[in-house]
Amino acid sequence: MAFCIAVIGKDNAPLYLTTSDMEQELDLQYHVNAALDVVEEKCLIGKGAPESKELYLGLLYSTENHKIYGFVTNTRVKFIVVIDSSNVALRENEVRAIFRNLHLLYTDAVCNPFYIPGESLTSKKFDRAVQKLMSGTA
Amino acid sequence: MRAAVGLMLSHGAGGMEPAMSRPDYEQSALHHSCLLVLLRGVGPSRARVLQRAFDKVRRVNHIRVNDSSGHPRSIWIRFVHDHPVEHNDWGDFQTHRRLLGLITIGKFDSQTELNELCRQHESLKVRYGSTLYESRAIFFGPDEPPLETIGEVLGPPTAVGRRLQDEFTTPSNFKAQAFFYREQDSCADLEARIGDFASALFWVLESRRLERSREKADKVSLLLAPFEKRDFVGLDMESRNNRKRCVGRVMKNLADLSLQAGLVDDALSLYHNANETLRSVGDSLWVGATEEGLCAASAMLLYPQMRETETLHRNSSLQEAGTSPLKNIPDKWRASDATKKVSASDATASNVDSCQPQQRVTSNSSSCSSVSSLVTTATNSSASDTPTTSSSSTSTISVTPIPGHQRNGDLPGNILKAEEITNYYRKAIINYSKYRHAATIETEAALKASRICIEQNRPLDVAMFLQNILYINLSMSEAERVKRFEVITDLYQQIGYQRKAAFFQRLAALKHVQQGSQAPDWNQSYRLMLGSFTGYRLCLDPLEVIENAAGWPALQIDLVQTLITAARRLGHSALATRHMTFLLQTQWDNMSPTEQSEMAVQLQNLSAQCEGSPVPLVLDNGTVIPPANLTDLPYCLDLQVKDLPAHLRPQRIKVAKADSGPFLFTPIHFNSVDRRDQKKDKNKIAFQWVQNDLSEVTVRLRNPLPFELAVTDMRLLTNGVVFESLPQTLVLQPHVPTYVALHGTPIETGQLDLQGYSTHTLGVKSNCRLKHMRGRSFPPNYVVDVIPALPRISVKTSLPQTATFSNMNSADIVVTSASLTLYNGESSSCTITITNESATLPLEHIEFSINSNVEQELQQKIFRIDEEAIKANLPVPPQGTIEIILDVYAEADFVCPQPPASLHSGAAPGDYGAASLTHYSSVSTSGHASLPSRVGSPHQRRNEPKNSSFRSTISGGPPSLAALSLQPGGGGGVGPSSLGSQYNQHIEAQVRFKYSGGEALTAGYCRQCAVSFNLELLPSAQITSWDVLPAEIASQFYLVLDISNLTAQEMSLNYTDTKNILIEAKESCRVPIPVDRCSLEKVVAARAAEVAENLERELCFRTQLLSFNDALSKLCSIHIAERVKINWLLTGTDIQGIASLRGIVLSQSMVDLTAVSPLEWAISFQDTLVQPHNEIVCTVGQRSLLSIQLANQSLQPLRNLVLSIKFYQDYLNGMENYNLETRVAISGPNRIAIPLLEKNEQKKHTCSVIFFTPGRFKASIECISNPQKQSEQSASLLTRSCPAETETVGQSVMFSSSYDEQQAHVWKLIPPIEVTVVEQ
Repeated sequence: MAFCIAVIGKDNAPLYLTTSDMEQELDLQYHVNAALDVVEEKCLIGKGAPESKELYLGLLYSTENHKIYGFVTNTRVKFIVVIDSSNVALRENEVRAIFRNLHLLYTDAVCNPFYIPGESLTSKKFDRAVQKLMSGTA
Repeated sequence: MRAAVGLMLSHGAGGMEPAMSRPDYEQSALHHSCLLVLLRGVGPSRARVLQRAFDKVRRVNHIRVNDSSGHPRSIWIRFVHDHPVEHNDWGDFQTHRRLLGLITIGKFDSQTELNELCRQHESLKVRYGSTLYESRAIFFGPDEPPLETIGEVLGPPTAVGRRLQDEFTTPSNFKAQAFFYREQDSCADLEARIGDFASALFWVLESRRLERSREKADKVSLLLAPFEKRDFVGLDMESRNNRKRCVGRVMKNLADLSLQAGLVDDALSLYHNANETLRSVGDSLWVGATEEGLCAASAMLLYPQMRETETLHRNSSLQEAGTSPLKNIPDKWRASDATKKVSASDATASNVDSCQPQQRVTSNSSSCSSVSSLVTTATNSSASDTPTTSSSSTSTISVTPIPGHQRNGDLPGNILKAEEITNYYRKAIINYSKYRHAATIETEAALKASRICIEQNRPLDVAMFLQNILYINLSMSEAERVKRFEVITDLYQQIGYQRKAAFFQRLAALKHVQQGSQAPDWNQSYRLMLGSFTGYRLCLDPLEVIENAAGWPALQIDLVQTLITAARRLGHSALATRHMTFLLQTQWDNMSPTEQSEMAVQLQNLSAQCEGSPVPLVLDNGTVIPPANLTDLPYCLDLQVKDLPAHLRPQRIKVAKADSGPFLFTPIHFNSVDRRDQKKDKNKIAFQWVQNDLSEVTVRLRNPLPFELAVTDMRLLTNGVVFESLPQTLVLQPHVPTYVALHGTPIETGQLDLQGYSTHTLGVKSNCRLKHMRGRSFPPNYVVDVIPALPRISVKTSLPQTATFSNMNSADIVVTSASLTLYNGESSSCTITITNESATLPLEHIEFSINSNVEQELQQKIFRIDEEAIKANLPVPPQGTIEIILDVYAEADFVCPQPPASLHSGAAPGDYGAASLTHYSSVSTSGHASLPSRVGSPHQRRNEPKNSSFRSTISGGPPSLAALSLQPGGGGGVGPSSLGSQYNQHIEAQVRFKYSGGEALTAGYCRQCAVSFNLELLPSAQITSWDVLPAEIASQFYLVLDISNLTAQEMSLNYTDTKNILIEAKESCRVPIPVDRCSLEKVVAARAAEVAENLERELCFRTQLLSFNDALSKLCSIHIAERVKINWLLTGTDIQGIASLRGIVLSQSMVDLTAVSPLEWAISFQDTLVQPHNEIVCTVGQRSLLSIQLANQSLQPLRNLVLSIKFYQDYLNGMENYNLETRVAISGPNRIAIPLLEKNEQKKHTCSVIFFTPGRFKASIECISNPQKQSEQSASLLTRSCPAETETVGQSVMFSSSYDEQQAHVWKLIPPIEVTVVEQ
């Protein structure tokens, strides 16, 4: 159901990126990278009132083929989910659910004492779970 | 700006037909209020010449005019260089799309050219004729001929114009107003004329506006957008709805005109009205237009500064491109409002803020004032509608505030609020989007909206509008699409969305060269690609990229690779190589090993076309591509600066004095200065290099690639003094660390700064500086001091070299070696030839020293160099030589060392005398009976054990004899064995030379080298035992030596001046040598010195007092060694040498014989003085008077002397008979005690002798001095003797007497008296 899921560190370095279509990976990376501007902007806006901070950033932008949604954790780790524009059946609530699950998965992955924060996520378990999440079978 | 003009001119000449519905991407909301004027260069393009004129015209973009009722109007003009005719068709829809004026600028040299210019002007007029109000032509003619005076040129412009117009006439069909200028004219009145032109436009516009406003509501015709024409065909125009539609549209049109005519308030209310009217009839398109108009009018009042930013913006983008893009990534755009952009671009307007309009006036003043002046001059001729005299200068700009000021005070009530503008734009866009044909309008509206949002600092809205543009389905050419992307890029950049900007920039770049494109424009693609670097956190300088280490590696690699492709397709292989190098250098860590090697191979292929070198590349557009260096290919593991080889290493001639502080080391650092010094010196090399001397740096390199890496032309990179690096070429095996030595020669003196090395690998030249090598703890550079050139020498010796080098200290400075074998006592010499090898420097200073494994004292005896002779030969010219003679003498101890005490420990208490005697007796039994032997004098021997035991109590035992031995090598028991004469000796020595010359000498530097000597000493002769015998005369004694020949050859021994003896190999023989006795003065002096020394010792320690015997024995030993030299010669060879007796040890009895006796004897027999060897004859039974007179010649009084007279018969076979009681009688005692013999005192003893039988008698007359204790005993024993001294005297003697008194001495009368007794 999702097309691409990316985890981006607080310094905007890519930590993890996966897509259902590996051929388009580079192209998607470009798109995800371009979406970061808006994420940063939204983070700045949310800075003023931390208690009311909404982690879900909503639709960042959409192109002919993709819709790009953003999510930022309290540690400024960003999740980007790219969804096929043609998939009109997908509702925003479902996107939120994806982010929530992704957040849980990420938390689990980071809890690994051998993981150094800021390094790219190479955990196989995390990868499998995200793949499942992406295919909608999670 | 210039570029824009150039572009404009190139377009202008072609006059090509623009594509249908081309969006005007530059448009902003404020352009709604502008009068559109086409400014076009005509004729052959001469941009440079006309640039000034273009600038001047452009500057007049705003005038203020008083309208007929005296209200000031602010009129803005927008100059465009190109305007599609179709856009005029939209003029009804939005009046600012109509082209109202035309200005052409052209240059001509001849009449025909002028005609052509006129023709082009006319044709432009025709093209835009439907909308054009006015036109002007500006012609630049050829320069005046030199005859013309300058004053004429500066005269009234009309005069000049006329002059040109006189020369050249415009064609008859040319109706436009033309201004003529000389090429070099300052065109002072041009601005005034343009101002005129602008006001003319205004008046026409004003009339149109008035016309429109006076139209009757029921008579107006329907205004249409171009595509609407068909829609309304056949419709009932009189319906209520359509009437309303007509009225609404006209009202909107009037609002547009009002806005242009400077009546913003009117425009606002008209827009509002029109909006309501049109909305009620559902005319979406025009509702959108009114909404947009409202936004424009409001923006005009709210954001007047946008006009300035627009004009200045072009420059600012250029400047931003110039600065380092990565540094200002976190764009401070938000922080300081939109005005930041102004401040960045224009220094004078740096503080401009929307709330500080007066400053804006200053920034504008240059153009404004000129405008005002021209207006004032122009007013006289122009308008007649100025009603009052006072305001005859109808338009003034600089004095009155710009309308923007009033917004704080009295903004119209119906103005849109800032946040409403966005909403209105959104609505307008939605309305437009209902019409497929309004796509252009929609696009433009979105752009305008985003520009407003930029002004409002609402980036998310900007992003929204820009994103929306992409959805607009606009049929456009690829070039247009690219243009659109570029505009979007630019806007994103303005709001600091670098990534988005880069995304679109890259898209634009790809569009340029996408597949299927007829004419791929790689140049543009390359330019855009390069532009998008910033967004991907890349920059052209690899150092900065590595430093920042930001961005997405995958994207960066992809981008650079695309860039490389573009550069290659451009045919710019130098660029391709550079970018490939950049890619390898910056993304090395982000690539897999296979990628790494792939890229390396690619680089190799690219550089085959064009070699990469570390120089900045400058592109045609002025972009500088900084050099990219492969600093880590090969990877430098470590770098070591090497000192010169030891024998060439410079040294200080005088060793600098160490710090005179009391502490050698202190762990306390008093302040941070020390530590800072250490830090600073971290890169400072402790040693020096020498000018003109080859120096070395060792680098350890690793090849990270899986294939062989060839590195050529590897050199050291230096700063500071001139340094000549020698290139090095090497091939590195994969992953194997390899040491590489890099050489070079400093040409100058001073500080040399080693920065790294340069390589040439994979076809790329790189400067690998230490400071750029990351992850290793290299200092940024190494600093080496280079001292002035020192001469070099080569050293040769006349002796053969040794097979092995010595293992002595500092063996590394040895340059050559020499070996020599000598017999002990032999002398030889060695010639050392020193050649000054330097080509220019003289050798001015040589200093030498000898180091060896023997003691200094001995060494000085063995080696000798005539220093003066060397000094005399200095300086040695370049290439000159000097010879140094080194004399070598095989010094050794010829005297047999002490036999070990243990040998005699059982028999005798280790006394030397006993030992020597036992040895001696053993020798004597071997049949040298010819020598007088002391073995047969048991009388003397009898006293010895006592003496020796007494002595040993003082000196602490027999081994102490070794301590007083004079052998130089004698440190305890080791000494004798180290340089004994019976074994082969190896002496290693180094003759060290310190040499210098030239400037280095004055600077105090020198070099040191050494010649290693291997000296082998063979035993020659050895003195195994010795004794001292009285000679025939009192002034001499016989030194009897047993000399063995330790060589394997027959030896000829020359022991006195005349006597020679041959000794077979390994044989020994005994030789007597007459030697002069040691004079009394010397003895006295020695005694005095010894007394003084002992006194001192007594005062201090009272331990280990030296006995006088030691001193005296030493003295005698030296005495003998000085006088006796035994020359030996190995027969059959020319090997000869001298054996010295240095170190001979004498026993007490020997010493007494050696030294001159302190007693002087005067013997008279029968009252006649006995002469030595005189025969005395007397008769049997007759009394003979023997008178003995003793005199003390020494400086000391002698105590406890016992004079004894004994007669004996010498059988001359070694037997002496002392039992002569029946043959001779002496009257009086034969032992006379003399308690004290003062200095120079004489004692006389007389007795009578009667011989009972004839024969030959000898009288042994001797004087024995007994030690104190003994003398006391003897005093008690000898009751017949002279009165014994009192106890007190004895006590005082005990203390005052010198220590020698404590030893027994025997002084004999030499030779003994011989009496021949005859019968009567």
